[in-house]
Amino acid sequence: MMKKLKLKLSLERKSRALLVALLGLGVSSVAAQQQYGQLEGERRLNGKETWKAFEPVREVLQESSAVIYDGWKSIAYGVVVSSDGYLVTKASEIAEVKELNVRINRRHFKAVEVVSTTVEWDVALLKVDAEGLPLIEWEEVEPAHGTWVVSNGSTTQRSRRLRVGIVSANARQVGGGRSPVVLGVSLKTDEESESLSIGKVHEDSGADDAGLKTGDIIVEADGNPVKEMEDLQKVLGAKQPGDQVKLKVRRGEEEREYDVELRKRESVFEEEKTRNDAMSGRYSRRRSNFPRVVQTDLPLSVRSCGGPLLTLDGKCVGMNIARANRCETYSIPSRELLGLIRELMRSVGDGVEKDESPVEEPAGGSPEVKE
Amino acid sequence: MIRTFPHTGHLLGGMAALWGLTFAWIPAFGADEEQDESPYFNRKEVPEGIRDLKKIQEALQENLPRSRSATVSIDLGGGSGSGVIVSEEGLVLTAAHVSGGVGKKMTVIMEDGTRHAATSLGLVASTDAAMLRIDEEGSYPYVEVDKKDTAGLGDWVYALGHSGGFDKERGVGVRIGRLVRMADQTINSDCNLIGGDSGGPLFDMKGRLIGIHSRVGQTLEQNMHVPIREFMTHWEGMIENEFIGEGPFAQKGGVAFMGVGTELREEGGLLVKVVGEMSPAEKAGIKVGDVILEMDGEKVEAKDAFSAAIKDYKVGDKVKLRILRDDEEIEVEVELGEKK
Repeated sequence: MMKKLKLKLSLERKSRALLVALLGLGVSSVAAQQQYGQLEGERRLNGKETWKAFEPVREVLQESSAVIYDGWKSIAYGVVVSSDGYLVTKASEIAEVKELNVRINRRHFKAVEVVSTTVEWDVALLKVDAEGLPLIEWEEVEPAHGTWVVSNGSTTQRSRRLRVGIVSANARQVGGGRSPVVLGVSLKTDEESESLSIGKVHEDSGADDAGLKTGDIIVEADGNPVKEMEDLQKVLGAKQPGDQVKLKVRRGEEEREYDVELRKRESVFEEEKTRNDAMSGRYSRRRSNFPRVVQTDLPLSVRSCGGPLLTLDGKCVGMNIARANRCETYSIPSRELLGLIRELMRSVGDGVEKDESPVEEPAGGSPEVKE
Repeated sequence: MIRTFPHTGHLLGGMAALWGLTFAWIPAFGADEEQDESPYFNRKEVPEGIRDLKKIQEALQENLPRSRSATVSIDLGGGSGSGVIVSEEGLVLTAAHVSGGVGKKMTVIMEDGTRHAATSLGLVASTDAAMLRIDEEGSYPYVEVDKKDTAGLGDWVYALGHSGGFDKERGVGVRIGRLVRMADQTINSDCNLIGGDSGGPLFDMKGRLIGIHSRVGQTLEQNMHVPIREFMTHWEGMIENEFIGEGPFAQKGGVAFMGVGTELREEGGLLVKVVGEMSPAEKAGIKVGDVILEMDGEKVEAKDAFSAAIKDYKVGDKVKLRILRDDEEIEVEVELGEKK
């Protein structure tokens, strides 16, 4: 295929030369070439020379965002949320990391604690031992269509490179509000009898391990009556991978109870690769089921998610959470992100807002977050 | 509905359009040039700081609401593209590989979800230009066309389109970029496009239509548009329902068809679930239970990519399928028929 492309290029070069000859308009051939040629890489939207105009914003990224490494390999970025070293990043990108370490500006932190995570937003709260880190300025108003946005794109040990783009579409929920954890079944709603029955039990799922079968009717989940999909989603929406849900199930005449382990949606259900996916290069494994996102055209790589989304004024309007496809990148809006950070910090204990009421959760787990 | 690879090797087609181009190009150097002066930031090598960037943002945001209101999704039933309204009466410009022929019925969807029946007018099969008309009389939002073809290399531009099909919650998607390559029948920008954007509009920073999205290459910077001059050159012919030029973007003989229903197999390939009666597939001896692994040497990895690839062929073309049948790989040749 490359060969064909090259053939075409040379062909068009010939046509260009021909055109200049045909026109004979008295414009210099240099002018004609400019009109009718290629723009150098450095002057393109994400070219080196263009990035220079964004330098004040790059400096904000340099000082108050983090690069997350596995050994020597950079795997994600992070938003610094407290001067004493709390930061947030994309949870699924650090899930299987062996040698987690972090750089903030020129400082290198080898001891990194994963404090808590939320699967609903795919965000992890990390802690490094630091003080006096510069904090980012927040802007909670969602940016309008066409607003310039700036993010970390790649990095050397000393300096950050940008990616620039604009806000592309309406902020919204993506993934139809489906829970990020699943039983691992396909469900059928019978509207007449108002019941929800199991169509197919997927292999390697919690439902399969627990012994659920095709045709089972789900009656209750954790004691809540289930009549339609939404009833079940409400219960699952607040759960983490590895949590259990107690299902009351009717099989024939009998009612039985099952404890089903919940697993990450993307690990149980394989997505069918669409034609648009095929032309997209690599995209984030977790790229859907977020309660609200801002959509941009930032050409981020999978490994440049997790960092702040800045405006031209250097203010943070969100955190990049997924590369969705060739032309869509999602970010958590700052209002939702700030709420989320407060929730995650609450579990820390000596966090900013100490919650007086005891939070019921397993040690090392994370707090319940609203759906 | 966007092609992953450009069709190549049409030397004569290229030459023919060259003459048309010279004709449309000359006025750009005429006396009106000053009136059409492009924004100051287009004359800079690159923006020189935050101020220039803000000017670009302001220009884009000033024109965006109107551009969005005139950008439509085109529902073809089983596929979709984009288009843009260019007259109050509802004339729509799109790509030839979206409209797919002359006199075809389709549905145009506005950003707010309003649907209008439309009929395709003429097209230019060699360069991917096409027109439709909304059937119902009315007063539709529309954009200005850069009739004088003033766009130049390096100009700041923005692309709109219903990427991946209509999505009311998301609305139409906008992407920014520059014109990075100009050639006789194609202009490239670094506004990133994807399937569903085909036929959608490319605007200059004054909100004037300068191109229609056609296809993408392997890299992010290969986003190709039909230049507006191609529409200007063939405007009358398209209005008169003419089928202009020959392939590759539309075929006179209709849409190519194989006649299999398939399902993605976990281990790869497509499992044949249904073979149409009297279909080209049946005539070639394809059976339910066969697994299609390759078509003309290209791996078959997704259902929608497979059916889109078939439509890229002409009626009567022969394709070679590599098929897994009873644990044995065989090769089958199918002569594609016409979709009724």
